[in-house]
Amino acid sequence: MTATTSESPKEPTGDKEAVRTLQRVTDDDLYRHSSQYRLWSFTPEQLNQRRIDINARAALRTDQNLKEFKEAHKELTDEELTALELKAVPVTVEEEYMLVNYYAKMIISFAGKMNLPTEVAATAASFLRRFYLVNSVMDIVPKEIFYTTLFFACKSENYFIGVESFAKKTKSTPESILKHEFKLLESLQFTLMNHHPYKALHGFFLDIQTVLQGKVDLKYMGQVYNNCKKTITDALLTDAVYFFTPPQITLAALLREDEALTSKYLELKFNIIKDAPNEDGNSDPIIDSQKRLNGRKLLEIIRNCKEIISRKNSTKQEELSRIAAKIHFSQNPQSVIERVKRQQQSSSATPDPEESQRKKQKT
Amino acid sequence: MASSSQFKQLEKLGNGTYATVYKGLNKTTGVYVALKEVKLDSEEGTPSTAIREISLMKELKHENIVRLYDVIHTENKLTLVFEFMDNDLKKYMDSRTVGNNPQGLELSLVKYFEWQLLQGVAFCHENKILHRDLKPQNLLINNKGQLKLGDFGLARAFGIPVNTFSSEVVTLWYRAPDVLMGSRTYSTSIDIWSCGCILAEMITGKPLFPGTNDEEQLKLIFETMGTPTERTWPGVSSLPKYNPQFPQHLPKDLGALLQSQTREKLDGSVIDLLHGLLKLNPDKRLSAKQALNHPWFSEYYQ
Repeated sequence: MTATTSESPKEPTGDKEAVRTLQRVTDDDLYRHSSQYRLWSFTPEQLNQRRIDINARAALRTDQNLKEFKEAHKELTDEELTALELKAVPVTVEEEYMLVNYYAKMIISFAGKMNLPTEVAATAASFLRRFYLVNSVMDIVPKEIFYTTLFFACKSENYFIGVESFAKKTKSTPESILKHEFKLLESLQFTLMNHHPYKALHGFFLDIQTVLQGKVDLKYMGQVYNNCKKTITDALLTDAVYFFTPPQITLAALLREDEALTSKYLELKFNIIKDAPNEDGNSDPIIDSQKRLNGRKLLEIIRNCKEIISRKNSTKQEELSRIAAKIHFSQNPQSVIERVKRQQQSSSATPDPEESQRKKQKT
Repeated sequence: MASSSQFKQLEKLGNGTYATVYKGLNKTTGVYVALKEVKLDSEEGTPSTAIREISLMKELKHENIVRLYDVIHTENKLTLVFEFMDNDLKKYMDSRTVGNNPQGLELSLVKYFEWQLLQGVAFCHENKILHRDLKPQNLLINNKGQLKLGDFGLARAFGIPVNTFSSEVVTLWYRAPDVLMGSRTYSTSIDIWSCGCILAEMITGKPLFPGTNDEEQLKLIFETMGTPTERTWPGVSSLPKYNPQFPQHLPKDLGALLQSQTREKLDGSVIDLLHGLLKLNPDKRLSAKQALNHPWFSEYYQ
């Protein structure tokens, strides 16, 4: 250890600025400092481009592998080559998206079955989705990272489960769970802190009752709360999480649940209705109009958000099996050839190999 | 992404609670770093403690909090690459001991360190993070006089770890009385208590309440700050480890007590701040922000 005894540290000079900064910090500033905002928030264009790039990189590798495979197997028949052209093709951006979202949904329902806390489930879904904003499903298929993600989410949310007992509960093995753990940590760029809209829901739940005192029924509010919690869980599977802050998503969920109630709350909170007297009766016109402007801007943001979280994206099971099979064939061209060979040999009495292939692909 | 070959490992700096820390040199940039090596447990993968620390440090970017630059993975270990600091406050104060007599720091330096400490703590608290283990060993300093909070997350994740195989006892000296009496509802106020203890220690060079066990720790606190009663601290008697038989003490004159241990002239302002940080009742303790606005710091914000 270097000793620094001889040199007395210097006196501060520029700390006045620090005081001002300290006093200026708002919750918005805090969120902007978070890794969730810095690294994992995007404009729709950025997000789209990111997905295109990841897919293109992996597709290029897949095509390259296929080319090498063909060169190494000069003996392939025309029929086999045609099958390869048809089957061993990279998945598209849309297909990646569908598959990842399906597994993100699965991870939440699986966490529910394991009685894990809501926040752990939400973090697991968020980790899985972020993992595929760095990697393609063609690099690592979702089912290979599925339990790793859930186990890792438990750890990072301080919900401790030993890997042995986790493996037992999930009918997997410690080795397979831990195999890609660092890959996951690295893909997440070591940022593990998640802010979910559930916390904001609790805050708004209380604030709405304060602002609309005497005008809301507590029992009804409880119902709103529970429904919104479900809406938020669904919203975590949409791209809203990349475009909006957690409280914006919460407000969108509230707006979706009870538009009149939420609008009323926001109107009062932001003096949106012109000339309405504010809480203490004396109003500053400039502050008021600024507040109104902010309120209107917010309402517009929330309406956009609501639109996105309301989009249904349920993918059919057959579609998912088809995508999974596509990945399998494109990563293992040999299996396409074997399939062709089997089809040539087999009689109609044997089960359809494609069908059994599909079954294998399911989690 | 950094790789381990990028860093030259130099001397060992110390053993952390779950890792060994080395000084390192970034061969590309020539910048010194602190390399915290975490053994990977083949049983459980990356230890939760390391995950916790990584998770917190990635969020806390502040000039008074030590920076985590990178994480490197090699076969059987994880290396956390931290900003390098020359010294820690404990070693720095120890180095100023004359003979057997600990010396306090110059008051202007005490103020600058305490200011930075509170800035770092305020930032943690704004981010809803409790440090829970503030002590001079965890406050890193450099020869520019900067002070930064280090060693995060362990206390929060798992309580304070005690190594039963070593005679080394985890220090209680900076632990708040409400925590010592078993309160489970503690919050940001526990860090503030530590900031108060550290402030007094910087002034005199000696720990304010150097207890060796929970009981003695409380005894030392009460002897100086007075024994709390339901009147001075409503609810104190319902704390799990509250003892109605606690010997009754009246608060001592903290100013006189500290003045007798330093050559520097202490003004009423710093003693007033200390009282605010060392309120027995956690609800009455200052927040980090309030402390930063205390008149003792007025030269920094006028």
